[in-house]
Amino acid sequence: MRVPFEKRTLPNGLDVIVHEDHRVPLVAVSVWYHVGSKNERPGKTGFAHLFEHLMFEGSEHHRRSYFEPLQHAGGTLNGSTSTDRTDYWEVVPTEAARLALWMEADRMGWLLPALTPDNFETQRGVVINERRQNYENKPYGLAQFTLARALYPEGHPYSWPTIGEIDDLQAASIDDVRGFFARYYHPANASLVIAGDLATTKAFEMAEELFGGIPAGPRVEAVSAPPVESRAQTVFMNDRVDLARIYLAWPTPPLFADGDAELDLAADLLANGRTSRLYRRLVHDRRVATELAASQSSRELVSTFQIVATAAPGQSLATLRTAIDEEIDRLRQSGPDDSELARGRAQAEAAFIYRVQSLGGTGGRADQLNAYNVYQGRPDGFDADLSRYLNATPERLRDTVARWIAPERATVLSVLPMGHAADSAGL
Amino acid sequence: MATDRFALPEPGSPATVTFPPVSRSLMPNGLGVWSIVQAPVPVVSCALVVNRGTAGDPQDRPGLASFVASLAIESAGDRDSIALADALARIGAHLDVQPSTDVTVISVQTLTRHLPAALDLMADIVRRPQFAAGDFARVRELRLSRLRQASRVASTIADRALIAGVYGDHPYGHGALGTSRAVAAITIDQVRDWWAQAWSPAGATFVAAGDIDAKTLEREVARTFGDWRATSAAAETPPPRADAAARRLLAVHRPGSAQAEVRVGQLGPRRDTPDYHALVTVNALLGGQFTSRINRNLREQRAITYGARSAFDMRRAGGLFSCDTSVQSDSAAIAASEILRELGEVRIPGAVSADELARAQAGLTRGYVRHFETVGQLTRALVDLATYRLPDDTFDRFVPRISALTTDDIVSAAAATMRPDDCTVVVVADLDRHRDALDALGRDVAVTSVEF
Repeated sequence: MRVPFEKRTLPNGLDVIVHEDHRVPLVAVSVWYHVGSKNERPGKTGFAHLFEHLMFEGSEHHRRSYFEPLQHAGGTLNGSTSTDRTDYWEVVPTEAARLALWMEADRMGWLLPALTPDNFETQRGVVINERRQNYENKPYGLAQFTLARALYPEGHPYSWPTIGEIDDLQAASIDDVRGFFARYYHPANASLVIAGDLATTKAFEMAEELFGGIPAGPRVEAVSAPPVESRAQTVFMNDRVDLARIYLAWPTPPLFADGDAELDLAADLLANGRTSRLYRRLVHDRRVATELAASQSSRELVSTFQIVATAAPGQSLATLRTAIDEEIDRLRQSGPDDSELARGRAQAEAAFIYRVQSLGGTGGRADQLNAYNVYQGRPDGFDADLSRYLNATPERLRDTVARWIAPERATVLSVLPMGHAADSAGL
Repeated sequence: MATDRFALPEPGSPATVTFPPVSRSLMPNGLGVWSIVQAPVPVVSCALVVNRGTAGDPQDRPGLASFVASLAIESAGDRDSIALADALARIGAHLDVQPSTDVTVISVQTLTRHLPAALDLMADIVRRPQFAAGDFARVRELRLSRLRQASRVASTIADRALIAGVYGDHPYGHGALGTSRAVAAITIDQVRDWWAQAWSPAGATFVAAGDIDAKTLEREVARTFGDWRATSAAAETPPPRADAAARRLLAVHRPGSAQAEVRVGQLGPRRDTPDYHALVTVNALLGGQFTSRINRNLREQRAITYGARSAFDMRRAGGLFSCDTSVQSDSAAIAASEILRELGEVRIPGAVSADELARAQAGLTRGYVRHFETVGQLTRALVDLATYRLPDDTFDRFVPRISALTTDDIVSAAAATMRPDDCTVVVVADLDRHRDALDALGRDVAVTSVEF
């Protein structure tokens, strides 16, 4: 797969990656800061994400919304925060490339002079609304929080939600913003991709001119956490839902570690789509489940493998649990058929091609170059990444499932309609 | 570093961008074939647009179009449901059937080398669905469960209440999934009849973009759809008459809601309105962008929401203007009244400055090319041309038309279209706690329920 690029590291430590492509008169800019909610501490959760909001409120030389000049230049922009990193991106017509880079540079170097208590209070309110809209007010919306708390021990960086606890958001202070910026938002903790309709030399010139004068910050120590082993436990919650739902989850090998790709394939084979073993059994043949999904959520410290099944009306979660356990058991004993694995490989290959179609934005080429660069230290990870899937064997998939996805060591969450007691799940 | 370094750069002059050429042909059975060659990656994106959507649901069977769409992608040709999904997965193709109000779109994205196989599967689904009894029973159960799940989602409840409030009994007034009552009553014969009438090459269009030349595509479409016979022409949807719940506030009780979902909506113009470009610009001022008036007001000034947006959904027979937001529970009335105030203010002469207009125009025109970057986007653009029967130069006219608008054009289009007094307002919230505060809007509050 060809995503040509050149990479240089500026003296202040900023990685600059340029991917030149003149087919469409657009330039995509992506900036990743290697900081996420895993860098927070208990009592201060949600801060990385709240900070992301403030990055759009102005910087020293443009003391107002970042959306205005960029949208009025025909651009689109956004940012996002995960457990592991925070990203900011713009996609602009070619003639606004310098504007987009200028703005990213100004907030990387000169954010704090524009920070006001008013902006801080406003964005705190916006984020609390965001949390209520996307989690509290959505059916099953709080289940992932409950699951993470059960799966990861207290104090583990993945035990709290990225959006943060309401009490912590209420307690956050503007001084926290200053400390966070000084510690994490600087060139040596960032990676910049400039992609699209700009000559490589020109792109590097602009990057050096605009970002070169930003002082390098303190070295950011990698977050570490003690290894987490899977263990049998059951958790339960009520929610304003009609249908009961069961979640099974395990801590699994981190992003790009041995087993990560095999577990991604195992998720599809077990529970994603109509061809998956559990869909056929539970939804198609026995009609006891209405929705099924599985995922290997790959992350830096430890990944989470999860299977989610929603019961059909009148069906018990125990029925679903038994079938899920049996299918995992079959997979860890006998592995996948060659034919199932061939299908998984074909889907992986197609997915890798589909996802290089967009230049920028979430999941675009600029974003992917940054992901490989930040997590692996080199932007050209496409082929190596895909080859993990193409080289997976039935034996390795079987052994990986056997090692990490043990039904007898699952963290099990049941979500039941209001008024249903825990024991009614029958687990 | 020179002072220049700290001055906000002005974007340079925009390049003129033209929509790529479209090859068009018409097959003897009435099926149009339109395509765009674009080969940055070995991918082809195809869509078949047939001329009936959810507005074609029988009055007593809301949800039928969508049900047919779900059932068609089960067993088809000589494959059962699982074998069909397996065949698609083995070539990494993504197939989807999506009814909108006016049309149903059957689409497939595939690697170029698998195009013939993908089209064979697509043709099976379109022309040879089995509608097997086992699939029918299972899909109906799944649909009923999905409706139960949807009935718990605040935003879905609000959307349903709004279209019912705006359109009433008009064919645009029900949700695509229909209701449990209707779905429970659907028979397999109704499914077959609807499919036979609606999924027909008469007036249908096959569109594609990607790594394929027009001749090869036409040959492939002729091979897979050439002997597909027309059954009947689709009936046209009549225009809606008046806002059904004009001037009312429809309040839906959702116990335990952590936020209030708010909708403000009214009938809007059809897609072929001569005011199209002016109204797209009016929407950019109101709620089409992050920087628009309504989002600035509710999010950035009042901090009562994560976001608010508005849109014209301009349909064939009569469109919908709607504004939607989720706000903190005690702020539903203020959110609705501020939205209504903003809708009224763009109608007032002098309310839109030349500068604000220039910025909105720049936002719409300078980045226009972003909409035509991937083959999927190009296919969607062709689907729009087919759905709304738009002229060939639609996309090339967009930038000059928007750029030529004056503040007078904007205000007069807004004055002719925006009718805040007639708008339907919907609030979905915990009414046990927040009902009384809704009186602050000064409208009749009708506590209502939404059927799923």
